[in-house]
Order: sequence, then structure tokens, then C-alpha cells
Amino acid sequence: MLDQARTRWHPIAAAHDLPLRHVFHGQLLGREFAVWRADDGYVNVWENRCLHRGVRLSIGINDGRELKCQYHGWRYSNRTAGCTYIPAHPADAPARTITNRTFPAVERYGLVWSATDEPQGEVPEVAGLAEGEFLGLRGIPVNAPADRVVARLRGYSFQPSGRIDGNDAEIAVEAAGDFSVALRAREGGAETLAVFFVQPVDSNRSVIRGVLNSDAEGAARLAVLRHHNERLSKLRDAIEQEAAQAPAPEPIAPQFERLPAELAEMPELTAHGRKAALRVQVARKWQAADGIAGFELKPLSGLLPTFQPGAHIDVHMPNGEIRQYSIANGPGESDRYVIGVKLERDSKGGSVCMHESVREGDVLAISEPRNNFPLRRDAVKTIFVAGGIGVTPLLAMAQALHHQELAHEFHYFTQGESQLAFRDRLDGLKGTLVPHLGLDPEATGAKLREILSVYKFGMHLYLCGPGPMLETARKIAAEAGWPEGAVHFEYFKNTNKIDDSSSFEVALARSCMTLKVPAGKTILEVMREAGIDMPSSCEQGACGTCLATVIEGEPDHQDVYLNDAERKSGTKIMTCVSRAKSARLVLDL
Amino acid sequence: MITLYDYELSGNCYKLRLLMSILGIDYKTVPVDFYPGREHKSDWFLRLNPLGQLPVIDDDGFVLRDAQAILVYLASKYDASGTWYPRDNPELLGQISQWLAFADGITSTSSAARLHDGMFYDFDIETVRAGAHRLFRILDEHLWFGEQEGRDWLCSADHPTIADIACFPYIMLSEEGGISRQDYPAIRRWCDRVKRIKGFVVMSGVFPAGPAKAA
Repeated sequence: MLDQARTRWHPIAAAHDLPLRHVFHGQLLGREFAVWRADDGYVNVWENRCLHRGVRLSIGINDGRELKCQYHGWRYSNRTAGCTYIPAHPADAPARTITNRTFPAVERYGLVWSATDEPQGEVPEVAGLAEGEFLGLRGIPVNAPADRVVARLRGYSFQPSGRIDGNDAEIAVEAAGDFSVALRAREGGAETLAVFFVQPVDSNRSVIRGVLNSDAEGAARLAVLRHHNERLSKLRDAIEQEAAQAPAPEPIAPQFERLPAELAEMPELTAHGRKAALRVQVARKWQAADGIAGFELKPLSGLLPTFQPGAHIDVHMPNGEIRQYSIANGPGESDRYVIGVKLERDSKGGSVCMHESVREGDVLAISEPRNNFPLRRDAVKTIFVAGGIGVTPLLAMAQALHHQELAHEFHYFTQGESQLAFRDRLDGLKGTLVPHLGLDPEATGAKLREILSVYKFGMHLYLCGPGPMLETARKIAAEAGWPEGAVHFEYFKNTNKIDDSSSFEVALARSCMTLKVPAGKTILEVMREAGIDMPSSCEQGACGTCLATVIEGEPDHQDVYLNDAERKSGTKIMTCVSRAKSARLVLDL
Repeated sequence: MITLYDYELSGNCYKLRLLMSILGIDYKTVPVDFYPGREHKSDWFLRLNPLGQLPVIDDDGFVLRDAQAILVYLASKYDASGTWYPRDNPELLGQISQWLAFADGITSTSSAARLHDGMFYDFDIETVRAGAHRLFRILDEHLWFGEQEGRDWLCSADHPTIADIACFPYIMLSEEGGISRQDYPAIRRWCDRVKRIKGFVVMSGVFPAGPAKAA
């Protein structure tokens, strides 16, 4: 019986077991769950174990948006259970494979329902129980197998809710199944339907979860709850005595599945370029500021992949263009991606298409989120400097730090008040947001000198904005004593003139391949032609996706992603634009 | 200045550190090597407490033993708000005493199981675990109906009392004695509430809860 039970819906908690900022410790058919409700109301049912060292997540911290493991502080996102931050690797974005196992969750009749395996059909509709008009009883854990509990529940006797003081109710079994019994009590004119669901916790443990078909108020309600609590507790004692006579069945050993194939396997060999793995619908489009359109992208089905602050997606537009946009969401807002698109009249038509052609309800193809601009959360203080639409990645970062109450300042430079984008999100950053409006380049420089005047060990600076502003800010930071490792930046685009006249040889150490890169072709293109599936995104040396490690040879850097120290070290290269000064380059690919 | 004769891993010492932290009382500690040194059975300690039990405090020469008694003393003397041990409220005082006795029951079951598993004490482990589960069932029911009635704490006041502090440590440490709290969701929620009391401190094996949602 328990084998078939795996694909059925079972109650695993009462709705009131999940107050905000609490983690409930559940179990079904031998498998333990960490169950928590995010501040947005979403109920997460996860395998009760941190992917890092196996500690129970039910002792973790529900911060309303993410669940944090008590042991080493790994953070997992609402909905997806994807890891968003690993404190021991503060400068890295966690790999997407670090995603905990999730189970379905549906709330009905004041209970949270789930299943250990893919459930067949819907959560049962119970005749006689109406949503919103029932009374949930206190769950009674019983140390006995579910079938024994169900059998004894058929003989449960209780008074109808209007006649608690009586003692003569007639009880009729209205329905019974493997894991449920519906009983009706009648006395005088009063009658009450009680439906009992028996949750098979383990082979020898169950929980009786009862629901009555009518609610009551005040003292009458408490009297009914106490009436059933008393009688069910007596029944429990009798069942446990009976069960103790029989040898206890072996506990159910939970099956620990391997990672799902799409996470565990190496990507297949393909020669095609940038992939749009996801389809999303434009759920909302609005004017986020003058000249900036906001888009809310929701999945057509299922969940969107986990993102971290600083992540971006490629949007494949109806006109064939591909553009990168940073995700502006705060932590745990995992039901959608929010992006901001600035209208650039002189562009190749990407932003024009987004502004003029894409409408609410349209379906867009996008890539999975990538994070080449990860946020450290171990800074003593973080300074954000945003220019114009460069606000989007920094906004996501600032919301994360704000939620964790980590020290930061958010400097936002725009032409004027009407250009401040995402006002609702900015409002949430009160106290740390400093808008700088209408400053010319000279005044901007002076203001940046002021903001960056004091560097202390452990501070970090994140910059995103137009190229000239970033150049200025990086120069000022360097002059003020900010080490390069503390200055993080992201350019919108690479305005360097790319010189692709050189020709050289690229050896791929892991793939055991030597390729010739002729003038006019990029390393990335040549690798793709040879069947190497190299991820890429902007393909102009700005986003950092196609980064490769250089083992030997001298790179000819033409990107704007690497900082000066990284360039000088000669160990990294952006394969989409950069080339070689030496005749041969050996890459760790 | 108060001196607490203290053992870091003792839940009964921890409940005093907890209350003193909440009340903002300054104190110093004298570590007593309970395990493996059995220093609480040494001559110098038996002179302080002939029962040979931790904790003991010395408040400028006034020496007192027994965790629950010390909670009463500290709250009566040092709690300016008068809420942790409300001396003018007979019903609450009665309830507090009732739960202080319950806390002793938790010590003799849940703490005993932990001593058995962690420090090799000779207890009948099945009996003490069953005893703890019996108490936890009663407590979970009390707290569940409390939530239904709008009561957050052990006693019928709208604020915590030393009763909550007395019961908390060996409930939180029960898993170190092989006593799962999975079947007691109302106890687990109450533990979160205790952890969110201003001034809360942890000990080894007791984890913080993180902030509640701002209203």
C-alpha cells in the first residue's frame, strides 16, 4: 500500500504550521522535508538537507526570501531552491547545479499537501467540505502505521459541533479510503461531518489531520477543538498500545536521487551559438522612467531558473537581434524576471524593438541567467555607483544587501528626476539611496571624488553605467587608493575598435585540439566551428560569459570585462574579441 | 558583581546566562569542568553546593544554588520591568511555579538523555526518552491551544516570563539526547519566539532564529 502511496497527494502540515519566518520540519513516507512560507506567500517543500554538508534545513533561517543553512550560511532561493550565495566563496556566483530537491505544494482545506514522487492527478476534492468554511483540528501524531490508524478511525466517536455536551451521537462512516475516513455525527437536529486524513510519516508513524465541515467562533470553537483533541488523543493512546504489541516495521529508507539529468550532464557538443533555452511571457510592460521600459517576464510553465544579484539574460528579439539585460529583482522574487530597457535611437534596433514591438502577452525567447558580475556579501561596506540604465544590476544587489541589513550606499546618477527608474524598488532602499541629478561630466567627477574619497580595508565598489563614467570612476577610485580587487564594474558595451587582423594558433589543452584562427574570425567562432560548445552572450567583450583560462601564450586583450590586474596576469581571455600577440595560445578548454 | 559557577555545555547554566543577557545584568563566570573533570564533585565545589550540582551563583557573598531558584532570585532583584517574575500577580506566580517544576521534569528526562548520549551517563535511555516525549506532548498541546487563544508564552501573560527561560534550554538540546521535536510543531514555533526575545544569546547546540518579519 505504501508503494502506491508515493504518487498520491498527502497532507504534510497544517497551514497554520507555516507562520512567516519559520521553517517547519515535515516528513512523508520516510522522506524529511523542510517546509517554509516565503513573505510572498509561496510554500516551499524541500528535501531537508543542505547540499553542502547534509545539515537539516529545518533548523535553518527563513529570511522571508531565502532559506539560509545554519552550518555554513549557504543561501537558497524561494521557489527554485537554487543556491544564491556561498559565504566561503564570496566572489563567485554559485553554479546552477547547486539546486536542492523540491516537492510539490498545494494548500487546501487548511492543509499543505505534497507527495514524495510525481503525484498523479489533483489534490482530492472532498464532498461536503467547502473551501473557506471548515475547521481544522489539531494534528495528532501517532506512533503506529497509517493503515492501523485508518482502521481505528472508522470507529472514532464524537459529538456534532452544536452538541458538544451530549453523549449519544450516532456516527456514520460516509466514505473511507487507504488514507482517509469521513464520518458524520448526528444528535438531535445537529450534525457535523469530520474528514480525517492520515499522513503516513514513516512505516510506523502517522499524523491524524482532521477537518470539520463547519467553523465556529470564540469559546464554541475552542470547545469543539478541545473535544476532538481529547477524543483523538484517547484514540491515539489506544492505537499506540495496540501497535506496540506487534513488531515495529522497518523504517522506510528514503531514496536519494541523483541530480536531474539537465543539471548533472555535460552540455552536448554543438556548433550553434547563443541558445535561448527559455520561453517567457511579457506579463507586464510599463514605463519605468522617461525613456525606460520595464518588463516583467514570467515563465510559460514551471519555474524560472535561479538568479543571483548581478545576473543577466540574453533576450532574443522578434527582429533577430540579441541583447543582454540585467535582472533587477530583489532576492527571493523568483516568479519573474524584471528588466529595464532604455530606448537607444541610434542602436541597431534592439531597444526600439523592445519598446515599440514587444507588448504585454508576447512570448519572448531568453537565455538562462548568467552571473559574471557577482556580489560579495562579506564587505564591511559596499558602495554602488549607477549611471542611467546601469542601475539595473546594482538595484538587484542593493535590494539583497538591504534585506540582509548589510551596510551599503547607493549612488544613482541620472539626468533628472524623471529618469530615476523603478521608483517602487528605489523606495524600498530608503536611507541608502542617494540620487545625483543633472550633473555634467565635471560635476559628476567631483561628486565621485567625494564618494570614493575614503577607502577602508574590506570595502567594495560596484560600478555600472556609460563607458566614460566608468572610466572616470575607475580612475578616481585608483587614485583614492581603492585596490583593483575591490572595484567591480560592468560595461554596457565595448566601444573599443576591435583589431582582428592577426592570425595565430589556439591549442585547447583539455579537448586535445589545435585550431587556426585566421584574420577576420574570432577564437569563439573557430571553436564553435570545431564543435566546442562555448557559452557566450554579448559577443563584444563586455559581459564576461565566454571567459577562458590561458595556460600559455600572450593574449591581446580587446575587451572591457577584465580589470588591469587580470589583463596583466595574462591568465584570462575573452574569446569573443580578444586575440593573441604570440603565435600560439594554449587555453584550458 | 554576580559570579556564575558555569559549565559551557550545561543547559541549566545557559538559562541563567540567557536571563542575565536579556536583563542586561553584568556577571563573571568561574568555569567548572563538569565533564570529564567532574569538578562539581570536588571538595571546593561541594562546599558551595553540597548537592554537587551546577549552577551556583555568588552575588556579593549571597550564594544560591538551583537553576530555577536562581531565575526567581535574579528576576525579582534585577528586572526593573517586573514582567519576568511579576511579584504582585498571584495567578501568574502560581503558573510560573508550575512550569518551573515542569522544567525540572524536562531536566530529569531530556537532559538525562543528552548526558547519556553525550557524556556516557548511566541512565535507562529508553525510559528517559519516553519521559521527555510524554512531557513534550503535553507542552505541545498547551502551546497549540495557546496559539488558538492568542497566547504566545507558557503562562497566561502577553509577555514571556522566567517559566519560558526555564523550559527552553533542554527542549532545544533534546536532539542531542536522540529526542526529535518533529512531532511538536507548536513547541518548535514557541522556540522561535523565545529566540526572538531581545537580548537572546545562544550556546553550543542552540541556533538563532533570524529576525521576525518587520510589521
